[in-house]
Amino acid sequence: MTQKMGFMPGCSLPSYTPEGVKKTMEYLKMVYPDLGGVQKCCGKGTKALGQEDKFKERFAGLQKDIDDVGIEMMVVACQNCYKTIKETSDHTNVESLWTLLPRIGLPEEVKGKGSVSDVVFAIHDSCSTRYEKEIQDGIRWILSELGYRVEESEFSREKARCCGFGGMIVPANPDLAMRVMKRRGNDFDSDYVVVYCAACRSSLMKAGKKAFHILDLLWGPVIYNEEPAPEDVLSSPAKSWINRYKSKHAVRKVVKA
Amino acid sequence: MEFRTEVVDLASNIAENCMGHEEAFCVAACPMHTDVKKYVAQIGGGNYQGAMETIREKLFLPNTLGRICAHPCEVDCRRNTEFGQAISVAGLKRFVAEKADNKELWDVKVKASTGKKVAVIGAGPAGAQAAIDLRKEGHAVVIYDKLKVVGGMMRVGIPEYRLPREVIDFEYSYLEDLGVSFQMGVEVGKDISFDELRVIYDAIILAHGAHKGNLPPVQGKEAKGVFHAVEFLKEISFTHKFVRGGKRIAIVGGGDVAMDCARSSWRIGCDEVFLISLEDRNNLPASQAEIEESLEEDVKFNNGWGTDEIVKNEHGAVSSIRLKKVASVFNEEGRFAPTFTDETKEIEVDTVIFATGQQVEDITGGLLEQQGGGRYDVNPDTLATKLSDVFVAGDASGGVIVVEAMALGRKAAKSVDRYLQNRDLNKARHIKKELSYKTRLDVPLPKGTVNLPRTSGNHREARERKRDFLPYDLGYTEEQAKKEASRCIQCECKLCMTECIMLNDFTECPQDLFSEFIDKGEIDPVIPYSCNMCGGCTHVCPNDYQIGEAFMGMRKDFILHNDGKSPMEGHKAIEIHQMLGFSKVFCTKVKGVK
Ligand SMILES: Cc1cc2nc3c(=O)[nH]c(=O)nc-3n(C[C@H](O)[C@H](O)[C@H](O)COP(=O)(O)OP(=O)(O)OC[C@H]3O[C@@H](n4cnc5c(N)ncnc54)[C@H](O)[C@@H]3O)c2cc1C
Repeated sequence: MTQKMGFMPGCSLPSYTPEGVKKTMEYLKMVYPDLGGVQKCCGKGTKALGQEDKFKERFAGLQKDIDDVGIEMMVVACQNCYKTIKETSDHTNVESLWTLLPRIGLPEEVKGKGSVSDVVFAIHDSCSTRYEKEIQDGIRWILSELGYRVEESEFSREKARCCGFGGMIVPANPDLAMRVMKRRGNDFDSDYVVVYCAACRSSLMKAGKKAFHILDLLWGPVIYNEEPAPEDVLSSPAKSWINRYKSKHAVRKVVKA
Repeated sequence: MEFRTEVVDLASNIAENCMGHEEAFCVAACPMHTDVKKYVAQIGGGNYQGAMETIREKLFLPNTLGRICAHPCEVDCRRNTEFGQAISVAGLKRFVAEKADNKELWDVKVKASTGKKVAVIGAGPAGAQAAIDLRKEGHAVVIYDKLKVVGGMMRVGIPEYRLPREVIDFEYSYLEDLGVSFQMGVEVGKDISFDELRVIYDAIILAHGAHKGNLPPVQGKEAKGVFHAVEFLKEISFTHKFVRGGKRIAIVGGGDVAMDCARSSWRIGCDEVFLISLEDRNNLPASQAEIEESLEEDVKFNNGWGTDEIVKNEHGAVSSIRLKKVASVFNEEGRFAPTFTDETKEIEVDTVIFATGQQVEDITGGLLEQQGGGRYDVNPDTLATKLSDVFVAGDASGGVIVVEAMALGRKAAKSVDRYLQNRDLNKARHIKKELSYKTRLDVPLPKGTVNLPRTSGNHREARERKRDFLPYDLGYTEEQAKKEASRCIQCECKLCMTECIMLNDFTECPQDLFSEFIDKGEIDPVIPYSCNMCGGCTHVCPNDYQIGEAFMGMRKDFILHNDGKSPMEGHKAIEIHQMLGFSKVFCTKVKGVK
């Protein structure tokens, strides 16, 4: 018996790209017609502050939402959501979008589209999943299916370094956070960096890199050298919340379509 | 504010076991704990005066040790254990001592006089070091030596071609600068009794070395022409001759002392030099360098042979030495118990020197008990004896090399200083660190480390050098020294510190940070709240310490003690952010339908 699938975009991704959320869900809906959807925070931020009780309370709220709509297997596009659900939920299974896509394949029309690009992308792995080799492999598989050329840095995969955003340090120690971001930026020779976390993308933009979310490459236009990266939306709270609101509607619309 | 036990436990485990301050292999192995790593780096960087100052913090004999130290640091050097090619630590020390040592760098400060008097018997390295340390503490110190010259075995054992005597005299002048007094040419037990000394002095350190040569029970050992290494080398040290010996000489023994005898034999004019050892070539106790240099000088090695008999002529003088083939040197329990086959051979010689070990002579008139080799019964931690005012150091207490003798001298001096102040000899003392020890450092080789060959030195041609007592090793040139110093791996852990920016803002290593937390029972919240929780530190930590987890635990405690709120001002925004992230406006749940 197959499990009931759902998708959860998380926080930073829907704040960054409602379009990316929508296209991803549309594709998943094609493969899993009864795909459900939940948009809510997993509570990682609360947990990171050390607010254990509040975190438990908040995660229970998320768990209730998941159960209410009968999702047994939650697909996530955020590494923190992945870890939080995996470590906290006692009955909801979780799978990263980055391991799911290699199993279900990419839509025909995107395959090989990056092969005309002259960009060589560096890959920034998320430090929260430094030991999740399958997720890292999935990202590389997607890039290779798209036809983009990539280069590995010394600090990739399990040696990944923090983008500077982790641990809620930006508000606590902004000067330090900025230095961590700059250092991470300097780990890459290429100006073009592909990431799979929207918060990491924002950090790398602050470090002066042209950072792309992998969903930008999957659903957006082909990227060529000299082209700018999308705006650092997450730096603007207003824009972020508007996007988050738009994403919420996208989730509803796609699931109900 | 009180932290939960799990947080404290995690922190104390890191505080206790983090290798951040664990010594490098060389520094731990050096009985004096000279900061080898530091001065090698200074030499590499051309800071010779700095290197000299670093060395002089611990050693008053840099040039001497640079030439003759048995260098336990090189044995434990990572380049030795990994690649079999240690950094030439001693060679570098000699280089910099010749280049930059200067009396102006010598620390001649002594504390105000205590009115106490200490006698040190023996002007070897143990006695000298003890005298220095006690004098600096403000005690009056008198060194007694039966010889008229300072240096002990370094002067009358170690041959001059390895250690020029003016080097010893120059470096020993430090003791005079400090105000140590000398009674040279006075033999304790003969010219003055041990009991008399105990009446005159508040405390005594016995550092008279191991100068008694015992001949093993070999048939014919009473023959004319049989001597012990100690008397042989001593006479050569003073006269460059050994008048009672002949031209064809056999040295019995396989250690460094045997090599010294063999190589000295050429220099006093022998025609043939044979070396006879029980051990085979690969198991000789002598250092590899000494073996190679002896071979270069054409010493005829007879390894794996024991002495069957010293054959005499009609005048009772040595005419040859008969050897028997060794079957095994050690028995099954690993104890020295040589066995032989029936095979024998005879070598014509007129002189036989036994380099088979030296013993400690008793100079206390039997007041103190002695053990194997003559070394005195002492408390190994303090070097105290059953006579509360008497302490032992150096070879007399069981040492075997110069730098160890110095460390034992320092140890004895520390005990004497406590004794004179009526302080407990053991309390609050890092006994382990008073001699050579094994560091806990256990780290992967730094990335990109390759096997670089040891920089070879400049030895004079064997044919030329074996006929005089001038230094056979000319030492490194500046270029060679820098090259050699650059091979140093600078062993340390601190891998997390190369990985994490945040830790560097607050500490030198996790050991310091968590020790301070344990000691004070508090921590500035900005520290745990500056951790990215990225796990980079744990990833590179050889012990996988969960440093982020420890910070996370602290955060939880801060929240518990702050009404559920973060103590960081900036986190108010996060609270709002999280609230919105869970609010209806931005959340949704939709059931999927086909
Ligand atoms: C041939 C030889 C070569 C060696 N080579 C090396 C080497 O290359 N590297 C190394 O590290 N170690 C070497 N050693 C070992 C090293 O020399 C000793 O470990 C070290 O010198 C011991 O120092 P000490 O101060 O305990 O005694 P010593 O150096 O032996 O000094 C003892 C002093 O006490 C004096 N003395 C003895 N009895 C009396 C008395 N009754 N009254 C007054 N004074 C007395 C002696 O004259 C002597 O000056 C060598 C030893 C020998 C024998």
